[in-house]
Amino acid sequence: MANRFFMTRTLPGALSFWVLTAATPLAEDWPNFRGPDYDGISDETGWRKNWAEKPPAVVWKAEVGIGFSAFVVADGRALTLGHIQDQEVLSCFDETTGERLWRHRFPSELGAKFYIGGPGSTPTVDVANGLVYQLGKWGEVYCLSLEDGSVKWFRNVAQEEKLSVPSWGFNGSPLLSGELVVLNLGPAGMALNRQTGETVWSSRGDAAGYSTPVPYEDIVIVSSGDGWSGVETLTGATRWTIDWATRYGVNAADPIVWDGKVFVSSGYQKGSGLFSLNRGELPRTWAQRLFRSQQNAPVRLGAYLYGIDGDSSSRAKLKCLEWETGEVQWTEDTGYGAVAAADNHLIYLRADGRLGLAEASPKAFEPIAETKVLTRDCWTVPVLANGRIFCRNSRGQAVAVDVRTLP
Amino acid sequence: MNANRREFFKTAGLTGAALLPFPWVQAQAERKHRVALIGCGWWGANIVREAMASNRCRIVGLCDVYRRPLTATADEVETLSGEQAELFEDYEAMLRKARPDIVIVATPDHWHALPSIAALKSGAHLFVEKPTSHTIGESQAMLQAAEAEDRVVQVGLHRRIGPHHRSGMEFIKAGRVGDIGTVRLFVVGRNRGGERPAANADVPNGMNWDLWCGPAPKRPFNPKITPGGWRNFLDYANGTLGDWGVHWLDQVLWWTEEKYPRSVYSTGGRFVSGAAVNTEQAATTDAPDTQTAVYRFDSFTAIWEHRNYSGNGSEKHRIGAYFYGSKGVFHMGWRDGWTFYPSDNQESIVHEKPQFSDTVDGNNLKQLWADFLDAIEQKRTPAANLEVAHRSTMLPLLGMISWRTGRSLTWDGERERIVGDPEAEKLMRREYRKPWRYPGV
Repeated sequence: MANRFFMTRTLPGALSFWVLTAATPLAEDWPNFRGPDYDGISDETGWRKNWAEKPPAVVWKAEVGIGFSAFVVADGRALTLGHIQDQEVLSCFDETTGERLWRHRFPSELGAKFYIGGPGSTPTVDVANGLVYQLGKWGEVYCLSLEDGSVKWFRNVAQEEKLSVPSWGFNGSPLLSGELVVLNLGPAGMALNRQTGETVWSSRGDAAGYSTPVPYEDIVIVSSGDGWSGVETLTGATRWTIDWATRYGVNAADPIVWDGKVFVSSGYQKGSGLFSLNRGELPRTWAQRLFRSQQNAPVRLGAYLYGIDGDSSSRAKLKCLEWETGEVQWTEDTGYGAVAAADNHLIYLRADGRLGLAEASPKAFEPIAETKVLTRDCWTVPVLANGRIFCRNSRGQAVAVDVRTLP
Repeated sequence: MNANRREFFKTAGLTGAALLPFPWVQAQAERKHRVALIGCGWWGANIVREAMASNRCRIVGLCDVYRRPLTATADEVETLSGEQAELFEDYEAMLRKARPDIVIVATPDHWHALPSIAALKSGAHLFVEKPTSHTIGESQAMLQAAEAEDRVVQVGLHRRIGPHHRSGMEFIKAGRVGDIGTVRLFVVGRNRGGERPAANADVPNGMNWDLWCGPAPKRPFNPKITPGGWRNFLDYANGTLGDWGVHWLDQVLWWTEEKYPRSVYSTGGRFVSGAAVNTEQAATTDAPDTQTAVYRFDSFTAIWEHRNYSGNGSEKHRIGAYFYGSKGVFHMGWRDGWTFYPSDNQESIVHEKPQFSDTVDGNNLKQLWADFLDAIEQKRTPAANLEVAHRSTMLPLLGMISWRTGRSLTWDGERERIVGDPEAEKLMRREYRKPWRYPGV
């Protein structure tokens, strides 16, 4: 592991692990979008928070291409997608130095429809088997070697299965579960055998939404443009649905499951809602229009949600929301951006490139400091892993920001 | 006001009214306009939000040929106003069943005329988006219907009412720019290069594509066309000149005392985007990416210019109208407000910022909607009435006919005829796809 000052967890889901080691600083890999627990919250502790006294420094920079793919960090590597000169490119860097280890590229359309374009999904790393899975913007699925980027298998799933392509392409990231790689393709998801790429189950008809499949128990939650479905991971059979029609078919922010309920939120004036987990059409606890996640889901810390309300083109704001009632606790005029969390702190990146740190409190916005790390437009969530925060903008400038505490 | 409260006033109206010192005030507030929307896309939803925000309207009907925006709009209307509007695919059915007294038409241009005329004939007042129509004959028929039915029509030319447009117009009309000989109107696009075709696709579930195309040619469904992209498909709209041009050419007609140009010439093409593609497999847009249109008026020349590529580093402004006068250059802009650059370098630049009611989309729909309701209630002419908007719509539509024919047109603005060019005059109308019939005579 690149950073010897930290103990590193590489296996996702080992929750009890950090309890045992909570006293020691804990670093962790971030092998998939929204992290090992699929919630945008890192278990990493002991990273440096005194930004007001000493702003964190950029330790390396890279050009990754146009797009909105976030970083994943695993096994000493940092990976993300971008569009460079008519190609979709997966770049793999050394996590510590930013040295580019390899690139995987294939021809692709930029797809700049009312925005800059480029891929929006994030690759998923299978550390145990040394693999990385990639869903291309137009429905290409790759399984690559993490070591050198060589292709293990490839399928142009959208073409082979004649899927409806959403207006802004496929933006959900691959979810690894058991023998499967689950993808938000089709109106209610699709699963491939992760070793061969063969289709295990699929859904037909409308185009997919833009979210990443989120697992809980034996279910994954997937989106279409008109709602959400909880489908059985092994079979794809629909267990429940939420009717959630959005103006442009954009259900992009990942849902959050907690306490027997599921939270969903969409932009373009739609709003958010909390639903009780059940079978069939889920009963609604509340719905409101004061919290609208266009692309990035909020993070849940305790009984509160923290995230950006509003579209990238609007006067978006950072808000805190009570889970149980949907009531807004506070609002901070940050503009558009995205929020991650670790150690009860919010790590947020504003659209204009300011990286901010705040204590998470439902009582008030408790800022610590901000530091400018990029230029606009930053719509992609920052990723904390092993003492560094990985950020990128839509034009493809990426930075690693050092927040390690040296002994 | 929610449904229960209104119900209460209906039944308890007399008692309630008797207790108020000015009963008619309450009575008037209770009599809300019954509003219906045709076309629930981005802009239709913007208008309906203003209707709800005005507190003077009740949304009774929503109509769209695509289920998704229809239900999304219905959902929004319900949570924002508590009203459950009736939903329709067919606007004729909506006019019959929902009995609106105001109809908003926010469809693509090829679907303006028929629903507007049907709404007017049903007795409703009309709010229709700009440009008024896709071909000249449709706008003429709409104007006839509005006059015959004596209804109030407001057209979505919100730049007629925006505060900086009003103050800018006063500045020019007060002679501060001097004698104006040339007006140049322009939109410089983003850095867009060659256009690649997108594959035709299955019609999305819940979309009636046949009805979407309606009286216009039925092309294979392509995701480039909708949402939003139809502006650059000439079967359904008139490109940048139709979409943006009408706003800025309208500013010219607002300023001048002349009502129409004597002649029009336009040239342009798809020089950067490349040739239009429309096959069974794939399509590109087909509107020109480069266009110049010259309008000869008696006392000045107006020049339209757009290019949907190239940056604006060489110029101060990317969009708007330059009024060139003997005392300097006046720029009427959008998000950059207006600016006067005096000819005399000793004098200082005069600038005014814009004031939008909607800062996200940069418009003044709120004021335009309020003016529309006031005009209905006070039985007066609204700011962007159909007569002025019709004349402003003639300019881009004539520009497009000149561009198609490749020659200069002589325009008889009194009789609204193209003089001595039967082939060009034919393009003032078009064949409708059956079973729809072109409106008017």
